[in-house]
Amino acid sequence: MEKQKVIDEKYIPDVGSQVETIDGNDCLITNDAMYTFYRRTKGEFSAFFLGLRDEKRLLGCRCTRCGIVRVPPFLTHCPDCNFVPTEPIEVEQVGIMNTTPPITYFATSLFQHMAPYGRGRVIFNGADTAMSVNLYTTTGILVPGIIKKGTQVKLVFRDKRIGEMTDVFCVPSAELTREQIKKKGLQESEIDWEAPKEPSLPVASEEDMARYRRAMDEMRGLIEDMNRNESARKAIAGWKRDILVKTRGGQCAILIDDGDINVEERELSSPDFIMVCDDITTLLDGLAYRGAITDSVINKKIWISKNMEFNTIFKLDRMARFLVRSRKTKDPSSESS
Amino acid sequence: MSKKVGIVGAGVTPFKGTWREKTYYELAQMATREAVKDAQIEIRDVDAAFYGIYNDIFERTAIPEHAIHGLLGMQNRFGIRITTGGATGAYTMSAAHAYLAAGRFKTALVLGVEKATDCFDFSSMSATPEVIKSIGWSGDSFFEQPIGWSASDSYAEVVLGYMDEYPGDLKPEITAQISAQLSQQVRGNTYAQRQFDQVTPEEVMNSRLVVYPFKELEICVYTEGAAALILAEEETAQAISRNNGTPVVWITGVGEANEHSFAGKNQKNMSRIMSDYYASHRAYEMAGIKDPTDSVDIVELHDAFVHQLEMSMAEFGLVPLGKADSLIEDGLMAPGGKYLVNPCGGLIYCGHAVGASNIMSAWSARNELIKRDLKTALVHGTGSTIAQYTACMIFEHE
Repeated sequence: MEKQKVIDEKYIPDVGSQVETIDGNDCLITNDAMYTFYRRTKGEFSAFFLGLRDEKRLLGCRCTRCGIVRVPPFLTHCPDCNFVPTEPIEVEQVGIMNTTPPITYFATSLFQHMAPYGRGRVIFNGADTAMSVNLYTTTGILVPGIIKKGTQVKLVFRDKRIGEMTDVFCVPSAELTREQIKKKGLQESEIDWEAPKEPSLPVASEEDMARYRRAMDEMRGLIEDMNRNESARKAIAGWKRDILVKTRGGQCAILIDDGDINVEERELSSPDFIMVCDDITTLLDGLAYRGAITDSVINKKIWISKNMEFNTIFKLDRMARFLVRSRKTKDPSSESS
Repeated sequence: MSKKVGIVGAGVTPFKGTWREKTYYELAQMATREAVKDAQIEIRDVDAAFYGIYNDIFERTAIPEHAIHGLLGMQNRFGIRITTGGATGAYTMSAAHAYLAAGRFKTALVLGVEKATDCFDFSSMSATPEVIKSIGWSGDSFFEQPIGWSASDSYAEVVLGYMDEYPGDLKPEITAQISAQLSQQVRGNTYAQRQFDQVTPEEVMNSRLVVYPFKELEICVYTEGAAALILAEEETAQAISRNNGTPVVWITGVGEANEHSFAGKNQKNMSRIMSDYYASHRAYEMAGIKDPTDSVDIVELHDAFVHQLEMSMAEFGLVPLGKADSLIEDGLMAPGGKYLVNPCGGLIYCGHAVGASNIMSAWSARNELIKRDLKTALVHGTGSTIAQYTACMIFEHE
């Protein structure tokens, strides 16, 4: 297996410091970390994790008195029966959602590469308790409504497994064939994942082009305001992205460079990512805080070529919010960072 | 027979998104200085300190209270730290109450303090993803952390569980109206992080989804700050009150409950916050409250999320389960309505400096009871995964 560090290099700052002046007082701010490495045992859970990794089995434990089946096997003795022993049991790899799962669009720094992702609780056939799993759809970005309480889901195994909960995830059974649902130890590579495909845009009419021109005028004004707004600039401090925006009426480039943002009507030969929206007004409304760009991506009104770039989308939404807020905020110190 | 315990002093620092100019040492002392000044006593008159500090990672040190004990003038006296996730502040008050009620001490300092935004994510060059990562270390480390557990997604699970049961409740236009109302209420709170961030329901509806079903303007903000109370047993409290001329606000009811942290049969019911139900009803019982809808005037509740605020109000028995939207639809929490809910702006607008938040809520409830000459307030803290922990208190102003 490919060698990998426990902490990715991109998370680790250089030794350094900076001075920030607050009310005339210099504050020294130092790059720092609080870290501990582990060789951590999975202890009594080892059989469960080895079952996932090596045998593609899903194990639980059954109380020898009350018969409750807990998956995963949280304990060796049942607290509901004054600690009588439990015994190992294997359960099916199909189950139902205990409740409608949340979907994370804005993730912690550890999981930004994974967003958007669902995490929910599944009661597998043969179990009484629910297991937390990641949830995906084979049809693209997971949006509300695809997986709900009671939806039947199938456990899928990663091709590369390391003995962690990340070895498995679930997809709706409705997106699989009958054979796939039946198969024990179904792997991700056996599923037909819909590849992200750039939407094609219809030929523009005169009216489309006129709308594009009007929107561009407003967008330039907004972007000028953002460049003049300290909070909005902070939202893109240290960030650099060249975004190619394709719309029905025309295309442009949004250029983000460490606090500066610009929009230019030109081609980009190697953009960091592509944004496609049929009607440029959708993007304009987002920048004007008349509707979030994040939500437009979720609702498929805007298509982005890399899910990882949700990060940049959040920053654009943030700039829009800061701009609106600064127009009515009287106390600049009340900003969150 | 346990002793009666009351609040005789309170103080907070300004709640801010970041305090570059202060460490948690100074924030802790700022709030303590204010509380002692408010009580008109000296720190040497305080017998014991109870520290509410949630997260070692935020403070960048284990046992973070050790450094501040002497800096607050509490050396050679009792000191203990409580940490119970979001409910840290409420549980800290509960612990101090128990020691005073048992007669161990006559006076106690309850101090909550938290940094947060010293955390910084160098990959996205922003603080937020690292702050929520630091909170993310609080999830179950074997089964849930590795697959992206976060405070927001775990509370969203419970909210969605409730919405599965009551699909007509927690309507987006109602959660938006509640957020907008809280943003108006915060205007009078000069210590709040978002004192001047008034928003319309439309702006709330237009804010981006962070974790479905939560939108950005329906979620508490992370905050740095501190809050402190001086508690005293009955005789001492009355003596302090005679001296400073401020009425004692008595803690007449305390209740706590922690649920199972995993879901399914005999475990957590994901459509309820039973910890809120048990804790509030235990507090009512201790305070002798038969019908909270008749007794409770002010609610200072831990609104991590607007949807959870509505659920918590239902679990407290102040609105029916499944009809939490009546808070707005029937005007129950509207200005001049039956309940005054989070007059400080709550954690969404005043801010969520985790260990300090519920103590800030207590500070607000005590101030409002005295200022408005009302009798009864319910103060609440919720925390841990899937709203597992709750501590509640009843405050009474005679």
